[in-house]
Amino acid sequence: MQSTFDRRRINGPEESFPPFFAEESRGSPPRNTSKARKGRTTSDIRPIFLQPGLISQANGSAYIETERTKIACSVYGPRQSKNTTYNEKGRLNVEVKFAPFSCERRRAPLRDAEDRSIAVAIQQALLSSIRLELFPKSSIDVFLIVIEADGIEGCVASGSIAASTALADAGIDMFGLVMSCSAAVVDSDIWIDPTQEESSTADGSIVLACMPALGTVTNVWQSGRMSPAQVIMCMEACETQCVNTHSVVAQALLNSAGTASI
Amino acid sequence: MASTFISKAEKSYIQAGLLANPPRRADGRSLHDFRTISLETGVAPLSNGSARLSLGQNANGGTEVMAAVKLEVENVDNENAVDGRIACSVSCSPSAYSHLSSGALDDLQHDLTAVLHQTLSHPSLHPKNLGIIPRKKAWLLNLDLLVLADAGNIYDALFMAAKAALWDTKVPRTRSVEYKSPKTFSSASGDMDVDQDTTSGFDTRKVSNAVDFELPDYWDEGEVLDGRERWPVAITLNLVPTIHFLDATIQEEASCSSRLLFVYSYESTSSPTIQSMRTLGSGELTMPHLKDLVKEAEKYTKDMVASLTGKLVDEDLRRNQKARDRFLSRK
Repeated sequence: MQSTFDRRRINGPEESFPPFFAEESRGSPPRNTSKARKGRTTSDIRPIFLQPGLISQANGSAYIETERTKIACSVYGPRQSKNTTYNEKGRLNVEVKFAPFSCERRRAPLRDAEDRSIAVAIQQALLSSIRLELFPKSSIDVFLIVIEADGIEGCVASGSIAASTALADAGIDMFGLVMSCSAAVVDSDIWIDPTQEESSTADGSIVLACMPALGTVTNVWQSGRMSPAQVIMCMEACETQCVNTHSVVAQALLNSAGTASI
Repeated sequence: MASTFISKAEKSYIQAGLLANPPRRADGRSLHDFRTISLETGVAPLSNGSARLSLGQNANGGTEVMAAVKLEVENVDNENAVDGRIACSVSCSPSAYSHLSSGALDDLQHDLTAVLHQTLSHPSLHPKNLGIIPRKKAWLLNLDLLVLADAGNIYDALFMAAKAALWDTKVPRTRSVEYKSPKTFSSASGDMDVDQDTTSGFDTRKVSNAVDFELPDYWDEGEVLDGRERWPVAITLNLVPTIHFLDATIQEEASCSSRLLFVYSYESTSSPTIQSMRTLGSGELTMPHLKDLVKEAEKYTKDMVASLTGKLVDEDLRRNQKARDRFLSRK
């Protein structure tokens, strides 16, 4: 691995390894013979904590926390686009950044390849929900910071929810809130909202983003091996879950609007 | 995705043509027709497997992709339980995307690489014969794709070229080599010390002492990659409200609101599996529509796999058997 030396920071030694703890089971843990899920049923998601309006400097913001995934989102816009070319529809820019301490292994503070994949997925989820034709020559910037990550699917799902809430908090015209949910296929069961450990033992996983208010799907991201029937079942399970999440998020937005100071 | 700028008039013209009855496309194809595909394997002699694919060669140029596989030996980390690794990368030649700045070109390269790498390096497609010395040395398979020209439908072309190159790959056979230190004390020393060479009957470990390997093959021989029927193919369904069509040109891609990418793997013809699925573009879909499209994609990929496999078998024959026959019958 090429060690990129960042001149602006104090770099550690070229090669360094995380400490090896004897109690932790290293490597992929052997599959439990009992296929039961620890702690919750196969169709339960982890409880969501969502707080809009945390970052006062931004036009809109949201902070989402689901057990071990913590993401802060801020929205700036609509503001003048830096491009000189005229575009009659507004532009949506999504940028995701992982904090160096967010994963088990330290991530470099420089922009990573994984950041961009997640940003593309979240942008895909949000694109059809915003009324971009009302903002010509403008751009809407969404910045997400992942403070703690528990699996890529969890980041994409929670990030989409946080971004949509932040956009609503910023007062940007939308067709509907975007809700997102992930699911994994483990043997023949479908586990909703898998953690990183669970999705690493799964055969395949899927992240679905939809607008429950309109009943349309905005983004599907599937990886791993699944049969077409399983894909359809997972998508339906995710959609049902998204409808439940939608009411939670709508309530959180109402609460914060009610207590917001003008 | 690289998109040309087309005017609203042209966009509505293309959409009206697609929605007409019977549907009309610029080159006269039907909605589910592909352009002519030409495929050749073995185009890069220094690689372990290679292929060149072009979709639609005409005056406007077609989509051209070259794929090549290079095998390297690497030491296995303790963390990896699997022997061998696959790394994919896509690079876009600037001549194919002359209208993109270098930053945008990098982003496009990254997006294409991400889709291909995540799909092809998944453990469910992993070939079993990439190990050399268990837990010590293994092959690293580098699959590099180069986009020489892009006239639409780049994902289908990339996955087809990747499958062809992987089909064509020959893994050199290896033979493990053990180094035994010469016995410094000959048994004629008379000393009845405890013989260090006795193996205890209780010691049932089978520890391989192999530390090195040698190659009995020449550079262009070897065994084929295991599980080469598993490599998946992709189909992009372009969606215009009420209909979907395949193999879009650049202008058609710019006129449709959303696209769906499906990657199907046909290890056995009766039970296909989906290895990857993505939505691209800004349109919305309803759930019933999505379910229908999943089934439609299955049909298209089935045909695609059948014809691609037929062609690859033909290519194998052409390069080996028929080449030998021609050589023997030369004057």
